[in-house]
Amino acid sequence: MELVTDNLTFKPENEYFLNQVSLEFQAGKLYTILGRTLSGKTSLLKTIAGLQPIDSGSITFEGKDFGSIQVWKRNVAMVYQQFINYPHLNVFDNIAFPLKQRKIKPPELVNKVSSAIRKVGLDGFEKRKIHELSGGQQQRVALARSLVKKAKILLLDEPLVNLDYKLREDLRDEFKNIFSSDFSTNSILIYSSTDPLEAMQLNGDIIVIDEGRILQSGIAKDVFENPSNIRVSEVTNDPAMNIFNGTIESNKIFLNENIRFDVPVHLKAIQAGSYHFGIRASDMFLDTKGFDFNVEIAEISGSETYLHLNQDELNVVLLLEEVKNFNDQDNIKINFNLKKLYVFDEKGDLLFSPFNMN
Amino acid sequence: MNFRHKFVFLLPGLLILIGILIFPIVFTVRLSLSSWDSFFPGLDFIGLDNYIRLFTDDKRFWESFFRLSFLSVTTVLLQYIIGFSLALIVWKDIIFQRFFRVLFLIPMMTTPVIMTVIWRTFFHESLGPVNDFFSLFGVTPLWLSDETLAKVTVIIVEVWQWTPFMFLLLLAGLLSLPKEPFLAAAIDGASPIRKFIYVTFPLMAPISIGAIIIRLIEASKIMDTVYVLTSGGPGTATETSSFYIFIKGLREFQMGYSAALSFTYLIIMIISLTIIAKLLVKLLINNN
Repeated sequence: MELVTDNLTFKPENEYFLNQVSLEFQAGKLYTILGRTLSGKTSLLKTIAGLQPIDSGSITFEGKDFGSIQVWKRNVAMVYQQFINYPHLNVFDNIAFPLKQRKIKPPELVNKVSSAIRKVGLDGFEKRKIHELSGGQQQRVALARSLVKKAKILLLDEPLVNLDYKLREDLRDEFKNIFSSDFSTNSILIYSSTDPLEAMQLNGDIIVIDEGRILQSGIAKDVFENPSNIRVSEVTNDPAMNIFNGTIESNKIFLNENIRFDVPVHLKAIQAGSYHFGIRASDMFLDTKGFDFNVEIAEISGSETYLHLNQDELNVVLLLEEVKNFNDQDNIKINFNLKKLYVFDEKGDLLFSPFNMN
Repeated sequence: MNFRHKFVFLLPGLLILIGILIFPIVFTVRLSLSSWDSFFPGLDFIGLDNYIRLFTDDKRFWESFFRLSFLSVTTVLLQYIIGFSLALIVWKDIIFQRFFRVLFLIPMMTTPVIMTVIWRTFFHESLGPVNDFFSLFGVTPLWLSDETLAKVTVIIVEVWQWTPFMFLLLLAGLLSLPKEPFLAAAIDGASPIRKFIYVTFPLMAPISIGAIIIRLIEASKIMDTVYVLTSGGPGTATETSSFYIFIKGLREFQMGYSAALSFTYLIIMIISLTIIAKLLVKLLINNN
């Protein structure tokens, strides 16, 4: 049982919504589509659901052509980024809606709806109208509605993005529990997100999409450790990976006139020439023997500090795992954890990674 | 600020209100207690005689009232069904959408009396094009002089004239509906027909009730159509309350009695429309 998309392309005007998207989804697995806003995540999900046309390509599900099946006959459930429910119905009737469309009658209907309500933690809210609920509760209703019909394909389009931070964390954990208990082997689960952290936490397969094109797919750890090019490294890291243009000459790496260092062990095979070097914000540290940088902005986020630094034309973002106060234009010294240095070629494709490349 | 100043500022509004709303009603009530007619004009006082006559000795008024109820309910229901269908058609993206939207509104923009004259010509039993057509099949229905058919003709003209109004209100309603529930319904496995029954129709309920009530109020004043088309005939077959009151008041000049008729009619209309509105709300909104 699998879902296969073959060369899906959709280009309504001058811009590609989808550009030759070919993917395979296996039942019993969780896929996270990771991409920036307007990268084609929603388009892909809508196409699978049948809500958006395509110019060319095909979708097959369980060996049958999916494209010719009407939306309402496809066995698909979807949760949207906006909290979409039926405003004229109460919570119970909202969740019962998909079952009623399948002509499921009361004793069974009530059982299924009640268990879905319990699962998303909305006991006691059955008689409430949708507008009497908070945003998080509305999204729970939408989730329950998608769970109750046990669809073979469950699409979640950035379901947490419109919720506040704390609620997002809670609901994400609940999602994971619900998915692991309910969707063990029978369903394909596709989740889209802009947040790399969320994708890593969900820990399924990651599909990186940008400008409608699939850049990389694979298990979360692989995509994180070996981003196939600079674009992927931007999308899969928050803050984005620092990229420097530099050269290698006689076993030394030059980022600019002041910053140079010996080529680290994992890059011994590299030849002289010019490259893009990448290093994560968390792989740099304060070091009294390091390089001079000026603080542009220092922002404290939770228990971490983001430092936006520059030296001449070189801008970097450094992540400190502690809370520290800096003033603008402070002069600080930082150093690079060279064991975590990535090298990309001039086109932007990954050449060397600190992790084992397959 | 002292009280007299406030009163001065309120006065213009109050005077206008008294002049155009309260005075006519009070005067009608006073008039209905008199025997003012063309022989003895003037405001004498005869107590409730007019009302006693109305409730005990005027079958024609009550007949015209029930006829009116039948006509207005039928025409408004037909207008609602046809208007909703047309609105649904041009709600979706179809070719010539703008053209159709305007086309459907044309009847409402015409003058009712003039259009009714044209309809009367259409339905003329020996000269009209409608019977030219029917005579091909060897029948010439008496559109205006058969008791049942005359009612049908009135209904056709009323529906033609006022469906656009219903269409306009319902289309505005459809266009203001949120898009999201329809997305959800498709995904939840609702076919287009079920989508209409379970999503479109319930979401449209408040607008539907408004449109139906507005049209019921308007339809219960049917007058010009009947006046031009059949003059209430044949006999009294198409006579409505307002037309009957018009005959009593402005043909026979029984001013006192027609005032009693008008006032009774007003009270009945207020009560029945309130009940209808409540019933519609209960039926369409609370019972999903």
